[in-house]
Amino acid sequence: MTFNIIKIYSIRFKLIASLIVVSLLIGLISILVGGNLLYKSVLEEANNRIRQDLNVARVIYDERAYSVCLALEVAAASGTEFKNGALTYEQEPLLAGLVNELVNMLQLDFAGITDLHGRVIVKYGYTSAKNSSPPETTNPFVLSVLKNNNKIAGTSVMEHNKLLEENPLLVNRADIKDVTITQKNASSSDALSTQHRTALTIGSAVPIIYEGETAGVIYGGFLINKETEIVDKIGETVFKNEIYKKRNVGTATIFYNNLRIATSVKDSSGKRALGTFASDEVTSRVLKQGEMWTNRAKVLDDWYITAYEPITDIMGKRVGMLYVGVLEAKYLDLRTKAIAIFSGITLTGVVIAIILGWLFTGRIMSPVSHLIRASAEISQGNLSPDIGAISKDDIGQLQEKFLLMTQALQEREKRQKAESEIRLIQSEKQASIGKLAAGVAHEINNPLTAVLTFTHMILRRKDLDCEVRSDLETVATQTERVRNIVKSLLDFSRQTEISTEPTDVNQLIEKSVKLMENQALIKGVNLIFKSDKNLPLFLLDRNQCTSVFINMIINALDATSSGGKIKIETQGCTINNNNGVEIEISDTGSGILPENIGKIFDPFFTTKEVGAGTGLGLSVSAGIIQRHGGTIKVHSKLNIGTTFTIWIPHKLLNDFIKSDNSKEVLI
Amino acid sequence: MKVLVVDDDLIVIKSCCKVLEAEGIEIESANTVELGEALLLNKAFDLMLTDIKMPGQDGFEMIKCAKQIRPDMPILMMTGYLTSDTISNIRRLGVKNYISKPFTPEELIKSVKTALNSFT
Ligand SMILES: Nc1ncnc2c1ncn2[C@@H]1O[C@H](COP(=O)(O)OP(=O)(O)O)[C@@H](O)[C@H]1O
Ligand SMILES: [Mg+2]
Repeated sequence: MTFNIIKIYSIRFKLIASLIVVSLLIGLISILVGGNLLYKSVLEEANNRIRQDLNVARVIYDERAYSVCLALEVAAASGTEFKNGALTYEQEPLLAGLVNELVNMLQLDFAGITDLHGRVIVKYGYTSAKNSSPPETTNPFVLSVLKNNNKIAGTSVMEHNKLLEENPLLVNRADIKDVTITQKNASSSDALSTQHRTALTIGSAVPIIYEGETAGVIYGGFLINKETEIVDKIGETVFKNEIYKKRNVGTATIFYNNLRIATSVKDSSGKRALGTFASDEVTSRVLKQGEMWTNRAKVLDDWYITAYEPITDIMGKRVGMLYVGVLEAKYLDLRTKAIAIFSGITLTGVVIAIILGWLFTGRIMSPVSHLIRASAEISQGNLSPDIGAISKDDIGQLQEKFLLMTQALQEREKRQKAESEIRLIQSEKQASIGKLAAGVAHEINNPLTAVLTFTHMILRRKDLDCEVRSDLETVATQTERVRNIVKSLLDFSRQTEISTEPTDVNQLIEKSVKLMENQALIKGVNLIFKSDKNLPLFLLDRNQCTSVFINMIINALDATSSGGKIKIETQGCTINNNNGVEIEISDTGSGILPENIGKIFDPFFTTKEVGAGTGLGLSVSAGIIQRHGGTIKVHSKLNIGTTFTIWIPHKLLNDFIKSDNSKEVLI
Repeated sequence: MKVLVVDDDLIVIKSCCKVLEAEGIEIESANTVELGEALLLNKAFDLMLTDIKMPGQDGFEMIKCAKQIRPDMPILMMTGYLTSDTISNIRRLGVKNYISKPFTPEELIKSVKTALNSFT
């Protein structure tokens, strides 16, 4: 029973386990595929956004130059200082005021005015030495205006000497300490140091026109190096200064070549990460090939989704890069969140699977466990066990079949009970009859002996009256009849044991046939014996078997009228793997009424007239054959004939040698 | 010719006397084994005819006794209830001949003759 419960549960656990596996698999796949897909699309989205952000940054960046240009144009067009024709050095004090005003208004790093040949009249931060001839400017914006005779606004590189010339204070601003210099090899340190003293500037220069003639050039601009306004404005405008884990989500950087000269990227201590370099890949793609570059990239210690584009100077030369980036961690977080949600869903799925599996198997297994309990009950002998309600599914079919089986079992048991009851009654009947017969026989046989002998002794006398003799003969025959009845009773009661010896079956039958041949001849019935010559010796009780054969032949003779035939046939035969001999006694006689077929083996059943049959022959014969381990069967057709088939198993002679002792008995 | 008949039932003894005396055979009888034994010790018999089932000592005792006293004397066993057991028991005691009760005079005479012949 416990075994069965374990089995039930193992099915339950198997089902639950497979449900769990399925939900885990689905969950895992959705985590892997869904998580990644989500991450990818988010990343793509981020890439798209960063490109737009870069455009905005670019606008902010360019706007700085345009605003300067606009202010310069206004000044050039409206300044009363410029109403005197070509500008000369003499007008310096007047113009210096204007320049100062502009510087203050636009927060310029450098500004000035030159004459139409590029000679500096006013320069912010400089008080001119009046005696010396005015120097020619080296400012790239002014040079561009002088060359093209048109206003200019944009980016330009200003080397150390130009800065120095413009305003010595600017040199310090331009100087960016290389934080990576210790990591670089010594040979490149010279090149780097010049680079570090060079500044990237945003500026503008506008020609001053007086009556259609160029009177001079006014210019101004900023240093981008160490500048914070642009990058911070980008951070503010584009990224709304969003903070993620104490970091700015959005960052912007301006590169001179590949050197960070202005940035909102801050290191762990909160200092701006100036003086570091862009990666080689970015440098080559953006600066050398002029492409826009969008990808995830490591900036300092964090991963960013970044976009770079080149900055070209007013001469059309790529001199730097503009960069914006968002912390990837923010998007990664999205993925982690998604995975967490998926995991949660998967876990819920597993829990549901367990609960469902449990309930489900409960429903499935309850009829099955009912059946198992029922079969256990059946094996313990209860043939009408409770199998529970019939369910409507496949299990229901099983239950119905089971029910049919139990019904069949019940019927079989009923039948067997009936059979064994019949058998019991029969054997009880036989036993009591046997006891009675033995007692009676002994008591009767002695007086019968006297009656028989005395009657016959009287009949020997020659002087008897005819009538007396006839009466005496009646006494003699009736006594003989009594003797036969008692003999049958004794035969019947004697069938308790057999004493067997190795016997040639054919020879035994031959003898019985010989004994009956005369009677058959008298009746005009043909008695034939056909023997199977290849039979082994059988262990038989010769006396009892002979009485069986004689009984059979007498019955056949009684049933067969003159001209009929009685055939006895032996044949080696195997039943249920047991070797044996089949003895068939068939006649062409009256046959047996179907309603009598079941009764002919009953003791005292006879259809013969009173005195002709005792009804014990077949009963005794069947008993004898049974005690030899054999069977006896009858097959009969009314008016056509009857066949009795006796089968006797071949027991090993060894058994006999062990158990018996009387070998020299003759038949 | 002298025959000893042992049977507890006197009517059987009487019947045997009737038949065998008519054949000129001299009969002595006993209705118990003890009596039969005494007779055997005192006289010589050509044949002993004995019943099996008797109160007290039975026919098998009688046969054993007779075999001791007169091993050469033929014995004919008679019984009203013949079984295979009985046959094998008397055979073990050295007795081959038996006759079932009831019998006709002819059957008895034939059996007695057979028994006598089987020993000569
Ligand atoms: N060969 C047979 N042909 C027809 N009926 C038979 C045959 N053998 C037996 N019977 C029937 O079986 C009955 C019982 O047979 P049995 O037991 O030998 O008793 P009895 O021969 O004394 O009647 C017979 O009375 C007869 O009706
Ligand atoms: Mg019969």
